[in-house]
Amino acid sequence: MTAPTHPGERPAPRTLVPTFALTAVVSALVVVAAVTAAPASVRAPLALGASAAALLLCAAVTWAVHAARAARGARRRLEAVSQDIGRLLQQQARTTEEARQEQQRLIDELAQQRSEFAESFEQERTRNQQDVGKELDWYRQENDRLTAELERALRERAVAIAAAGNAAGRMQALATATLADLRAMEDRHTGEDILADLLHLDHRTAQAGRLADSIAVLTGARSGRRWARPISMESILRGAMGRISGYRRVRVHSVSEIAVAGHAAEGVMHALAELLDNAANFSPPTAEVHVYVEEVPAGVIVSVEDSGLVMGDVQLRRAERAVAGDITELGGLTGTRLGLAVVGRLSRKYGLKVSFRPSARGGTGVLMLVPQDLLTRPVTDEPEPAEETEPAEPVPVAADPPPVHESAASDSAEEFEEGPTGLPRRRRGRTLAEAERRSAPPPAEPRPAPRGADAQLRAARFNSFRQAVRPPAPDSAETSAEAYGAPGEAAPHAPVPAHDPVPAPHPESGSELTSHPHAYPEGDPTS
Amino acid sequence: MSRPGRDDAPDRLYTITGGRSGTGSDSPFDLVTLVVAESEPVPGMQSEHAAILRLAKFPTSVVEIAAELKLPVSITKVLLCDLQAAGRVSARHPYRPAITDPDILEQVLVGLRNL
Repeated sequence: MTAPTHPGERPAPRTLVPTFALTAVVSALVVVAAVTAAPASVRAPLALGASAAALLLCAAVTWAVHAARAARGARRRLEAVSQDIGRLLQQQARTTEEARQEQQRLIDELAQQRSEFAESFEQERTRNQQDVGKELDWYRQENDRLTAELERALRERAVAIAAAGNAAGRMQALATATLADLRAMEDRHTGEDILADLLHLDHRTAQAGRLADSIAVLTGARSGRRWARPISMESILRGAMGRISGYRRVRVHSVSEIAVAGHAAEGVMHALAELLDNAANFSPPTAEVHVYVEEVPAGVIVSVEDSGLVMGDVQLRRAERAVAGDITELGGLTGTRLGLAVVGRLSRKYGLKVSFRPSARGGTGVLMLVPQDLLTRPVTDEPEPAEETEPAEPVPVAADPPPVHESAASDSAEEFEEGPTGLPRRRRGRTLAEAERRSAPPPAEPRPAPRGADAQLRAARFNSFRQAVRPPAPDSAETSAEAYGAPGEAAPHAPVPAHDPVPAPHPESGSELTSHPHAYPEGDPTS
Repeated sequence: MSRPGRDDAPDRLYTITGGRSGTGSDSPFDLVTLVVAESEPVPGMQSEHAAILRLAKFPTSVVEIAAELKLPVSITKVLLCDLQAAGRVSARHPYRPAITDPDILEQVLVGLRNL
């Protein structure tokens, strides 16, 4: 059998030649020797046979040598291959080992790195936590600090506002007292020059009082003075006019008889004064400001029209917002533009509604609605007050200057205001006084009954004269007397009980005397 | 000094007269001038004017009107001047008193002292 051989490993035929030659020589020698030694008879065949055998032998030897060589080469190759395989196996094992080691190394490395990462992450986390904790602490401290600061600021703000309001209230009181003083002086000094100066001072003081009122309103302090009785619309408008510098330019067109309830009168007056001041300030110095009063079902609309600047959209919106009273902060106020903010506060407090519109006069018109619940109408009740004041009849006022009684003045003014309707206005406490009068017996009054005796008649006339000087009823006179004497106690117990002693006998005496309070049928005794 | 009373009026005097404090020296009114209304009050009138017209239905002196209105005489004169300019009142001076003899006055004085 022949193994697959490499061409290089197959024994080359040339290498077999010596073997073959050697075998041939040996066999030839053997054949020759044999032939020589053999009898002649067998020499021929022997030679033939021996030669053939020698040839075969040569061939066999050559073949054997060749085969042996081939086997040796194959064995060598087999060994080489086996060695190769072994080497390869070793190499494989080594590679495997290396791979395993590499893998192990990587795993170790990975684990190490993972632990490192975990560790560093842990550190980072704790550091972050510490940082966050520190920041949190800082923020907390900051928060506490700011909270404390805010509280302090709020407290200071409240204190400052209270102080400003307090000061404004005292300013108000001073201004009001000064105005009362000035009014008394105006009554006392008859010289026209002095009166002019006093009126000038009066006007200045009224404006200062309005400023104090404004500050009081903005600081939420008690606003202004309270009026104990309804104030007629005419007086409201005049009171508002009297507090602005340009009052001479204000023209009032009002036929309204309506009055504003005492508690709201000051607020309405103040709001109107601010609106009038705006209108007068923002119109040319010679232009007039017109005020119209119109009664509507919802109340009374007071419109203030100027011929000055028309407000732009932005200004208009800002003004509308200011007078709506929605803004309660004091921020954004300037010292010279308090007016609309004051109007806003007052509108909110009293339910006034203020709106703006272009005026037909070319400027801005402001409408202020005074709601119905702030208004009182002159009550059309029984015609008694005419009788009540009738003791004024017998002896009218003499030439001596009448004593100053504010209360009497205002009350008589009220009587007069009621006039156009011909019907009197109900005064405070009269209903109660009348009820008491009906129940109680009429006090013994010397005046009406004994007309015969001259002395008594004179006494009665003198009494009536006093009544004439203080027309309405002693209640208000007493009230004002008390107010002058002890003003602090005057208000609470003034009006009602003082009512009945003198007015009581009037119903009886009324028929004999003249019915009209201001008619003097007996003539003027001074003439 | 006086204190603000509960019955003060909010009107200031200068708003009543529009800032005028007097009528000057040529005013036809003095304290005892008698004033008579020539018309009825009309709606829309200033309340003092209406009050004067109501007061002066019968001849009334300026000082009386001032006392009734509780206004200073100068202010009242301004109002009366306005009304007179509008033809709503007329003014006349009172008749001179019949007794002008100083003797009689002296006798009256003596009699008064003897009371």
